[in-house]
Amino acid sequence: MGFLNIDNVTKSYGSVEVLHRVDIAVEEGEFLVLVGPSGCGKSTLLNMIAGLEDITTGEISIKGQVMNGVHPSKRNIAMVFQSYALYPNMTVGQNITFGLEMHGVAKPERDKAMADVARLLQIEQLLDRKPGQLSGGQRQRVAMGRALVRDPDVFLFDEPLSNLDAKLRVDMRTEIKKLHQKLGTTIVYVTHDQIEAMTLSTRIAVMNGGYVQQLGTPKEIYDTPANIFVASFMGSPSMNLIPATIVDKDGAAHAEITDASGNAKHLRFSGGGLSGQDGRGIILGVRPESITDMEGADRKSTNIETITNTVGVTEPAGSDTFVTSQMSGRECIARMRADAEVRPGATIEFAVNMDKALVFDPQTEERVV
Amino acid sequence: MAVATQDTAIRTGRFARALIYLVLLLFVLFYMLPLYVMLVNSVKPLSEITGGGMMALPQVWTLEPWAKAWSTAQIGVQPTGLRPYFWNSISMVVPAVAISTVLGALNGYVLTKWRFRGDTILFGLMLFACFIPFQIVLIPMAAVLGFLGLSGSTAGLVLVHVVYGVGFSTLYFRNYYAVFPTELVRAAQIDGAGFFQIFWRILVPSSGPIAVVCIIWQFTNIWNDFLFGASFASGDGAPMTVALNNLVQSSTGVKEYNVHFAGAILAALPTLLVYIVAGRYFVRGLMAGSVKG
Ligand SMILES: Nc1ncnc2c1ncn2[C@@H]1O[C@H](COP(=O)(O)OP(=O)(O)OP(=O)(O)O)[C@@H](O)[C@H]1O
Ligand SMILES: [Mg+2]
Repeated sequence: MGFLNIDNVTKSYGSVEVLHRVDIAVEEGEFLVLVGPSGCGKSTLLNMIAGLEDITTGEISIKGQVMNGVHPSKRNIAMVFQSYALYPNMTVGQNITFGLEMHGVAKPERDKAMADVARLLQIEQLLDRKPGQLSGGQRQRVAMGRALVRDPDVFLFDEPLSNLDAKLRVDMRTEIKKLHQKLGTTIVYVTHDQIEAMTLSTRIAVMNGGYVQQLGTPKEIYDTPANIFVASFMGSPSMNLIPATIVDKDGAAHAEITDASGNAKHLRFSGGGLSGQDGRGIILGVRPESITDMEGADRKSTNIETITNTVGVTEPAGSDTFVTSQMSGRECIARMRADAEVRPGATIEFAVNMDKALVFDPQTEERVV
Repeated sequence: MAVATQDTAIRTGRFARALIYLVLLLFVLFYMLPLYVMLVNSVKPLSEITGGGMMALPQVWTLEPWAKAWSTAQIGVQPTGLRPYFWNSISMVVPAVAISTVLGALNGYVLTKWRFRGDTILFGLMLFACFIPFQIVLIPMAAVLGFLGLSGSTAGLVLVHVVYGVGFSTLYFRNYYAVFPTELVRAAQIDGAGFFQIFWRILVPSSGPIAVVCIIWQFTNIWNDFLFGASFASGDGAPMTVALNNLVQSSTGVKEYNVHFAGAILAALPTLLVYIVAGRYFVRGLMAGSVKG
């Protein structure tokens, strides 16, 4: 039983089920991120926690209290909306204290709470302004202030940073993370940005098509994705997914792939889990950072396999250089050091860290190893 | 033109521009002429009008016709002037406008933010009310007023105008609130505001432009209404429009055109005033929503 318990919850609009049997237990102080592509049901799930949408079946409880049918204002939650949803006719100060006023808190206490929150978020000088006179980042702060002032059990964020420009988004992300570390409150945070998900969360629920595809720590999600969807959704650039065949050679399982000219190449698997499956078709999953030049290869790896291949294009990105090449007919991206000397069209040796390689079943799309 | 201007109008030649102004001027004259005739003749002695000088400026200026129209002209049985009827109209228009506007705002709020099964059908039916001709409802309405015991009273007229006005005011507010962010309502719900608190504290303060549109629309319609006034109000309770008609139609003695003109202007004054005070907002309110800023 978690602090916030989502137990077997489904949501239907009419006869269409948009969320299927979601089970998540969130511990106190956790930062849970719901991530997934547009339309996967993240907002719907968040709104059900908030009480803004009815729960079709299943149960949501907070601190052991069943919340089904409980009014949003009685759940002791606070929500930050994507559009900030600041009341346009009220000043920043009134926006922040409106919830307290509605809950019958006396004016002196409201003012004190407002002052505390304003100091925490450094918006003291904005308190008398109207939301229309604020920048995007300032509005974002005020929206957070409005949530914080209530001192809720659970914070709900629905894509709070998606209306900000790239620079501000990174700053606010850090600020939210700091705030969480400082206050230790339980947060459920919706985003479709996988970097936000990785950096902020203590746990991630990756969603697609109304299903929770995987629930785990950022490291688990990144290193051992449950299926092809999670593998390709998390990580940027996304994981290379190379069709391959298992071949037994020299008493060990190898992945057989083809290079740019169509020649077969063999990469030995690190573990022993795939022996005796000679001839089985698989999808080999390798993250870009696991394909490098020889000098850049991970020294701690127990199994670096090399493959000679022709370079497609190179994309210098400042800190790294991304190098593409054809493997089994797929464009694969390798992440090399910025000063790796690679020219388009050249034939070079790629180092593949097979310790980190994953194997997926092409039919079920589940991870095998 | 060295300085960049904000001029968004289409550029035209000098000649075309002059022509446009000329045509506009003609229209202005055309529309202002009746007002001129009314004003000029309301401040002349009757003899000057019957003498044939309709268009001429008065030789003797007098406010006598205005005073007479307002306080002594023979309208009903008593020589009361238009004054009591003016107050009849005010005491009909103010509550009718207020009630229909508030109801329209509430309807718009419910139809957009508290959606329920069949809400669009209900809204469609309310819209339909805007297009029912007045004449059709006269007899059923008379029956209803009789049933409620409101026949011939100002309260009855208020009811009639509210019923008729609610279709329009609902239409205005529904369309205005349809583009009002629902997230604000949700945020207020989480903050603990109830149905009416959300309405009064969040929606109403942002409804200025559309409220002005609605009020002007209702005010002019209800003030200018003659049919309902003539049908459902009795003698002393008649609104201004009906009284003006009685003044002009009274068959006793000579026709005092100067008094009639003054009376007509008096009858039109409140709507004019409303337009002058709130006209700017009217256009602004009609545009709101159609153009997103
Ligand atoms: N009122 C509704 N009636 C019918 N279907 C709805 C309704 N609201 C949402 N849906 C459907 O539910 C699904 C989930 O919607 P939701 O808003 O939760 O997506 P999301 O993951 O938040 O997407 P985004 O990233 O675009 O915000 C979508 O397929 C959507 O079409
Ligand atoms: Mg969403």
